[in-house]
Amino acid sequence: MSSATPETAMAGGDAHARELETRFRLALKAQKRRAVMMRVGLNIAGIVLAIVLWEVTRFLPGVNEVLFPPPSIVIAEAIPMIASGEIPNNILVSLKRAGGGFVIAALLAVVVGVLTARLPVFNFLTEPLLHGSRSLPAIALVPLSVLWFGIGEAAKIALVCWGAFFPIWVNTFIGVRDVHPIYLRSAACLGAGRVQTLLWVVLPAALPMILAGLRQSIAISLIVLVAAELSGATAGVAYMMSMGHQLFRVDVMFIGLFLLAALGFLADRLFVALTRKLFPWYASSH
Amino acid sequence: MSPAPPLIEASSVTQIFAASDGEPSWALKNASLAVAPGEFVCIIGPSGCGKSTLLHMIAGFLTPTEGSLRFRGRPIEAPGPERGVVFQEYALFAWMTVRQNVEFGLKMRGIGKAERRDKARRFLDVVGLAKMADRYPHELSGGMRQRVAVARALVNEPEVLLMDEPFAAVDAITRATLQDELLRLWQEFRISVVFITHNIDEAIFLGERIVVMSAHPGTIRSEVRIDLPYPRDRGSAEFARLYARIGAELYGKGKETR
Repeated sequence: MSSATPETAMAGGDAHARELETRFRLALKAQKRRAVMMRVGLNIAGIVLAIVLWEVTRFLPGVNEVLFPPPSIVIAEAIPMIASGEIPNNILVSLKRAGGGFVIAALLAVVVGVLTARLPVFNFLTEPLLHGSRSLPAIALVPLSVLWFGIGEAAKIALVCWGAFFPIWVNTFIGVRDVHPIYLRSAACLGAGRVQTLLWVVLPAALPMILAGLRQSIAISLIVLVAAELSGATAGVAYMMSMGHQLFRVDVMFIGLFLLAALGFLADRLFVALTRKLFPWYASSH
Repeated sequence: MSPAPPLIEASSVTQIFAASDGEPSWALKNASLAVAPGEFVCIIGPSGCGKSTLLHMIAGFLTPTEGSLRFRGRPIEAPGPERGVVFQEYALFAWMTVRQNVEFGLKMRGIGKAERRDKARRFLDVVGLAKMADRYPHELSGGMRQRVAVARALVNEPEVLLMDEPFAAVDAITRATLQDELLRLWQEFRISVVFITHNIDEAIFLGERIVVMSAHPGTIRSEVRIDLPYPRDRGSAEFARLYARIGAELYGKGKETR
């Protein structure tokens, strides 16, 4: 039986073997560190390369700096806007809307997803409504929302929530519905009740699908956010871009584009990092 | 020796499923089986003979279309911790460590943390995996996973271990080791074992009694008592004789009718 357990250190006082293991561990660590450094280095190099290429465009014939401002102009414009607190404030306002809508959507969608997957009556009752609503793009609701609720915060959060709800719901539904019956049977014969099975078995088993839905909805939250802010707001990243448009300030529009890309990217990375931290079994078992 | 009252009693159980075309399909027809306390019973048969169906009914996962199932005289209506189940594979919770898997049943029954830890450690020790307590199932070999599955069932102190081809997915060498260990645990804990297999060698090596089933419809064909002392010698003449006999039970009659 013990033959099946891995040997981490050689038995007895074999000094050479232990030294060899130490060296092996160090080499492995160094190799992993090199791999990470290389990846981060290339990531940065890619960004720098893109900026340099973009900057070079100003020397090309026929390129209008006002319509296609090089990074030096965009950055020069952005610095005072950051210092004055204008950009940080717009980011904060946008994040509150996108984050608020996303969190509410996530909570609702997971609950509805579990209910629809586990209770056939509830599923059949809501099936046509939910699937019908799902086909409506959130952006199509923006004009109506402005008409009904004006340009307040609640309306924007509700729009983001609407858009983010459906992918999480659909994924949770599929994840919960398709939990391997062997897990449910194991839980039952180990003495777990309905609620216990849901909490300790069904939800973790469905987690990969739920996470996929959440990740998809992060991107959707930003899309709906932009649509909502473009059609009526007094602050926010997309509002700032809309102002840039009206004042013919293409550089400000570029700042907005860059901020949206950075927000989307960082939110996704943060999500992946958080997933790894919270669910160590998940990333490595696939 | 007076016959002990049976621990498990299946009387004329029949299970009809809906086939893919909606027609009734007989998974099991009129099967009767009694298992005594402490007895090791192997059920062997080709695929489609209803051996897993029978086990799942004893476990309480399925309700028979007709017939009755009793455990200690009481009707079996649902799964319960007194009947531990070990599945073929993929039954360990992937999101729990080995320790958490073993503690699961105790936790569900509201047993305190200190006692859970203590018991889980003891049963992991029993299957030789104390060192692996903090690993996740995907970090273990197939043989180790099945040891954890056995520990997870045993920690609940069941009266019977229901095993559904538990060693079918591991390599031959590991399988032989697991068989030895299972016999040791059975002798140590004095519980009943109902063991499903499609492997004649495995059935003769493990069982005190072998139930031979045949397919289409699933029925119990015969029962063979194995009186060889443990540990059994696969190379003995008696083993070979039994092997031939069970083989004939399994395939022989089918060939005659063709």
